[in-house]
Amino acid sequence: MGLLALGTALEWPEAKQRAHQVREWGIEQLLAIWNRAKGKERDALLWGDEVEYLVVAVDEHAKKARLSLAQADILKSLARDEALWKSDGGENQDGTGAGAEPPHFHPEFGRFMLEATPAKPWGIDFKDLLKVEGNMKRRREVAKAHMASNEYPITMTTFPRLGTKDDYIQPYYPPSGPALRSQFVPDEIANPHIRFPTLAANIRSRRGRKVELNVPVFKDTNTPSPFKDPTVNYDLHIWPEDDDVRNGAAKDDHVYMDAMAFGMGSCCLQITFQAKNINEGRKLYDQLSPLGPILMALTAATPIYKGFLVDTDSRWNQISRAVDDRTPEELGELPLKNDRWRIPKSRYASNSTYISQDPRLRKEYLDPDLVVDEDIKKRLIEGGMDDLLATHFAHLFIRDPLVIFSEDLEELDLNKADHFENLQSTNWQHMRFKPPPPEKNDIGWRVEFRSMEVQMTDFENAAFSIFIVLVTRAILSFDLNFYIPIQRTTENMETAHARDGVLDSKFYFRKDPFPRRVRRQQHSSNGSNMSSATSSAVNTPPPSPPLAPVEMEYDLMTISEIINGSTDGSFPGLIPLVESYLDSVNVDVETRCSLASYLDLIRKRADGTLWTGARWIREYVAKHPAYKQDSVVSEEICYDLVKAVDEMAVKEGKNGSVGWEMLRGKKK
Amino acid sequence: MKLVLSTSNLMKGGGSSVIRRPTTEKSNVELINALRSNFQASQHESSNGSSSSNGTSSTATNGYKSWTSEHDGTLYIPARDFSQPGLSEERPQYDITVKLFYLPGIPVSRRCAHTREAIDLVLKELDVDSIDLLIVSFPGILFDAEDDSEDEDEATEGEDTGANEGQVQQPDDFDSMVQTWRTLEKLQSEGMISQLGVAEFGSERLARFLAHTNVKPSVDQINLKDCCVVPKSLILYAKQEHIQLLTHNDCNDILPVGTTRELLGPGESGAGILASAPDKNDGIQGDVEPQWVVKYTAVVKDRGVVENKGYFALADIGNCVRTES
Repeated sequence: MGLLALGTALEWPEAKQRAHQVREWGIEQLLAIWNRAKGKERDALLWGDEVEYLVVAVDEHAKKARLSLAQADILKSLARDEALWKSDGGENQDGTGAGAEPPHFHPEFGRFMLEATPAKPWGIDFKDLLKVEGNMKRRREVAKAHMASNEYPITMTTFPRLGTKDDYIQPYYPPSGPALRSQFVPDEIANPHIRFPTLAANIRSRRGRKVELNVPVFKDTNTPSPFKDPTVNYDLHIWPEDDDVRNGAAKDDHVYMDAMAFGMGSCCLQITFQAKNINEGRKLYDQLSPLGPILMALTAATPIYKGFLVDTDSRWNQISRAVDDRTPEELGELPLKNDRWRIPKSRYASNSTYISQDPRLRKEYLDPDLVVDEDIKKRLIEGGMDDLLATHFAHLFIRDPLVIFSEDLEELDLNKADHFENLQSTNWQHMRFKPPPPEKNDIGWRVEFRSMEVQMTDFENAAFSIFIVLVTRAILSFDLNFYIPIQRTTENMETAHARDGVLDSKFYFRKDPFPRRVRRQQHSSNGSNMSSATSSAVNTPPPSPPLAPVEMEYDLMTISEIINGSTDGSFPGLIPLVESYLDSVNVDVETRCSLASYLDLIRKRADGTLWTGARWIREYVAKHPAYKQDSVVSEEICYDLVKAVDEMAVKEGKNGSVGWEMLRGKKK
Repeated sequence: MKLVLSTSNLMKGGGSSVIRRPTTEKSNVELINALRSNFQASQHESSNGSSSSNGTSSTATNGYKSWTSEHDGTLYIPARDFSQPGLSEERPQYDITVKLFYLPGIPVSRRCAHTREAIDLVLKELDVDSIDLLIVSFPGILFDAEDDSEDEDEATEGEDTGANEGQVQQPDDFDSMVQTWRTLEKLQSEGMISQLGVAEFGSERLARFLAHTNVKPSVDQINLKDCCVVPKSLILYAKQEHIQLLTHNDCNDILPVGTTRELLGPGESGAGILASAPDKNDGIQGDVEPQWVVKYTAVVKDRGVVENKGYFALADIGNCVRTES
């Protein structure tokens, strides 16, 4: 996340008073952007990946692994190097990159986290794709070079013992600070930039109590039943919110957590694409949306929270709950009195809108319960925006802005996007549609794919990044249609959490992804937006034969069927689609071979030949001599696990080294 | 009479014909399926468009005439669709690659005309006046990753290239390849083609070939069944000569005679172009002889989007075609 300028951040009661103004100004800024950029055309495909790291300090003597809160020092040191590189005219770097521009590092919510992006966005030149993995490795090396010798950048989604009773952070701070009021983590766990503690405090404050995360515990043979989270302290009386647990916040058979850090402290792998124009961006937003849960299940890597094995494999719902600022009225626990509406989802959730002006988008695919701010929608339509897109933003803008700097409320600047971004970037949905930033002419409409979990090795992170890029090229080339009712995607997102869901669960997916054949003599003059639809389409369609009921269009499929194709050949599979795409373009031998190894990883993750990260971590814990079959991931296990993951990032499971079950599938 | 078979744009509505299925061995299914589905769709549309029949394809004699067109002794199957918009953006945005398959058993002397004919069709289809890369595929050459030192005098590939058609297949001899290349060089010098390429050349053949060229091939396209077993000698040699090694997944025997007959013939899977028996008047009489196949792709350069991909195939038909042995 980009950092805003420092200022006076308003506390919640005051921020709430100004929320309306921020929304109004945000909408005016959006309209200004929209009117400037709606005709932007022919932007190249550029894309970027974001990899997030935990900084873990390893204590060889005590055999302990702890999260390091050294983020600020590391970033400062990295920034010095970047400045040095620039002052050197960009030449003669330290040798590893031979003068290449250093990668960019960014702070994240957790003070134990780093985010790194490539120096420049990637293009679609296939040789560019080959540079991704090396660049990711270089980022890891550069990050490591700026850490203390016992610190490591680790790409696990969560630190296994975050929030336990032991000294899992370095330097140590006791919990129960004024911002988070967590009984498990100190305020110092968050980035000290005023934005972050304010964000956490205002979420808590708006909500009227602490955030509440209950993850079902994995019941092993020696796990007590019912399981009562032994780390919960019921006798704490520092903050009013300490009553939460006495009021039943911690549920039986669940691991209980109470702070934003348990969610926003997770590492993800996010990919952003630049579209050629707004229409292509809207199309990609819609078509990638059903893939979100599928890719999340494939990348699942989060089986441990707060020192316990849990019964889910993915991080998503925990983040969702960690930033859930809904009031009891909005949650439906109390009758609506002060708030404007019931809201079915957290601000961090699967997305709820389709926005493409595609004749194939049927009304039945839209969320019938979508909450929309009608006044905002009206304003957007008056301002010239079409109904679909106005609905999308009027839906995002049902939320309150959480962090408001009083200095920004003095004058509305239509050449900025700060108020718009205040809402836009705190709607953490699994897809994000990003308008061009007003200050940069060379950036176009973008779509961000946000559901993937970070993988332990850069080989995997590169594989999944490149796979998604190739999928977008196949979508655009074959004019694929993955539409399903958006509520099915929401359900899929839940399904994707299941332990081993990648193999055992079934997901709703569209049966026939191919466009209907274009009738000859019926081409639209610009060659796009072909295809037919019926009276149920949202967008004005050409007359056409009636379509089957929506329920006939999709089916429950396994991840393997979706990725590799169904055995009876009825669904082609994403990998065969990508391969057919590759067969249609000129790819050199070396590139094709590298791509083959990436596609092979994904193929085998889907069919179970290779383990997911979640599975591998579970097996690692289960086989550890110190594990007592009681779901507890002890400090000793955590230490060994982190060491193993670091070793894996280097050896990548080659020659039977650690992680081969996840990366290679064979020992030799 | 000549027959021009076309697929139209596979990327838009070609549907599942473009998908390589792991279960199918033969990779010419793309061409065959695409032709078949384009024929069927055109038949369907024409029978829906006219009120002559009730939704099923017409069974009247010479029903194919409703969805094909004849022009200067050439029958277009289906009829050329001049309402096709060509490419949606300006020419410089695209990389246009054309691969021309010279078919086995067709005299080398016809290649000059064939090449012009094929390129001409593609240029018209895409509404452009030049292509970026022309790759030619000579019949009977198989790239063998295990043994890069293939000897083209030994005709060992007979069983792969058409034995099931009862033909005796001779791989192209070296001189005829060089002779063909002269034609291509000429087209290149006319500005119609920017770069030339070959397919399935091993390093030795490539070295021998280069010595005879004025315009060097800039591409050697090889079929990697099992990826990543490319002979080192070829990689090194290609690098040294600045020849790009590209991959493809095309079939060596892309359009056998039997398949063509089946496609065009009467019956369930046929298009009803050919007469059902020598004494029947329900279609064109005579032998079918496929002459060449051309594949074209137009890719938007800086976005990697394949906008148009399709095939043309040309076959001779009639009693005047060369009798098969």
